[in-house]
Amino acid sequence: MTNRDRIVLIVISTVAVLAAGWLLVVSPERKKASSLKTQVDAANSQLASASGDLARARADQVRYAAAYASVVRLGKAVPAGQEVPSLMYQLAQASNRKNVEFSSITSGSGSAGSAAASASAASSASASGASASSTAAAGFTQMPFTFVFNGTFKDLYHLFQQLNGYTVRTTSGGLRVSGRLLTIQSTKLSPLSSTTTSGGAQSDRLTGTITATAYVLPASQGLTGGATQASPAGSATTPVSGATTASSPSAPAIARVTP
Amino acid sequence: MRAVNLIPSDSRAGTTPVAGRSGGAAYAVLAVLGGLALLALLYGMAHRQVSDRRAEVASVTARAQRAQAEAGQLAPYTSFIALREERMHAVSDLVDARFDWAHAFHELGRVLPSGASLTALEGNVGGGEASASASGAPAAGAATPAASSSTPAATGTATSAGGAAAAPTVTSATPPGSVPTFTVSGCATSQKQVALTLTRLRLIDGVSEVTLQSSTASSGASPAGGAGGSGNCGAGDPAFTIQVTFAPLPSSAAIGSATKLTSQTGAGR
Repeated sequence: MTNRDRIVLIVISTVAVLAAGWLLVVSPERKKASSLKTQVDAANSQLASASGDLARARADQVRYAAAYASVVRLGKAVPAGQEVPSLMYQLAQASNRKNVEFSSITSGSGSAGSAAASASAASSASASGASASSTAAAGFTQMPFTFVFNGTFKDLYHLFQQLNGYTVRTTSGGLRVSGRLLTIQSTKLSPLSSTTTSGGAQSDRLTGTITATAYVLPASQGLTGGATQASPAGSATTPVSGATTASSPSAPAIARVTP
Repeated sequence: MRAVNLIPSDSRAGTTPVAGRSGGAAYAVLAVLGGLALLALLYGMAHRQVSDRRAEVASVTARAQRAQAEAGQLAPYTSFIALREERMHAVSDLVDARFDWAHAFHELGRVLPSGASLTALEGNVGGGEASASASGAPAAGAATPAASSSTPAATGTATSAGGAAAAPTVTSATPPGSVPTFTVSGCATSQKQVALTLTRLRLIDGVSEVTLQSSTASSGASPAGGAGGSGNCGAGDPAFTIQVTFAPLPSSAAIGSATKLTSQTGAGR
């Protein structure tokens, strides 16, 4: 073996030893580190997502009291039960205020029966404290009614204004709720047949027949879906204070609900 | 004479072997040792990275799990807020889908000429056909309210029968796209006044069409025709029946964007 051959052999052996060391020891460790980097990135994005969820949940917790109050107030517009007495009281109050005679109220056709059944089921469900799913669809049950009012055109116009004004949208996009939500489908104004003035001339009083629909929350949902003022259904934690609390008996009748 | 190099052959310049006496083995050992030291350094760095990253993964995962658990505990709050939003949206949709009867009556009173008076008025939302036939059956409205609002009432029945809980959205009694119509009956002092009434009714906010159904001058005092008309017109005064058709009710999205625009521009305050 010549001197040159020996040198070549030594160089090759050295390179082989170093290459083996790299391939068998260092490279797998670097690959492991690289795959762990991917895991770290994934864990970081998971953390970011969880942190976002947590931040949102905490914000929701802070907003809970206000949200509870607005849900309760929305119950004024769309109650959990049929609440016909309060509807009649509301109509009577509106008609008295507008100098209109509230002549009659008739529950709508066959659909009202099932509506009533759904409504009573809803109220019993909420009364028994069943923890209805909060994310259930908000399909409302319709309750058709026919009201008859007597008054002048102007008075009836004011009455319509009042009936529409119980639940209105504000210019800021929120809702102002002060009574039952009614959708008027049809009206019929005709002269009040039996009234004449003392001089024998025909009175300007009219009979207004209004077909309207009130709405009731679905049977699967209570007014608040099992939530209480203190905490929502199924929660072990209490809401963070600092937001406005739910309505109290001394609270004003008009509530502003802003999305 | 032949020159003789007296310097020993292994000490002569240029002839010293690079490999030295070990034949290069020493260099090889040094190179291997250097390489191994470098490999050890690289391995150490990689190993440290691995352990650091393992710890980081464990820590971050633990934090994420804690955050998820905490968010899970607060999930009822999120669900309740979602319920509130959903209900707000549903009620807003119903509010937006209503026809402004008071405004329409106000407009009617504003535009009606002094030479014309109304004896009856029937308004419907959603049933153009129903209101058209209402003039022929004036007394039907009070007794059978569903007759003048067949489409909405039918929708209501379906919702109730199908179970309101299963309904994915709120069905308004006056859904967007419904066409409000008024059938007005009355008396005028002359046919010119009827024509003026037709013209003036077109000025009502939101009216898309005004159609005369009849205008008949009576020879004496006779009951006025038309929907529910029971008033008397003067001798020779025409009794008219006019149908006023409004623009279809807008969708909630259109109202929402209009409200947003009003809110942004400050208009309407």
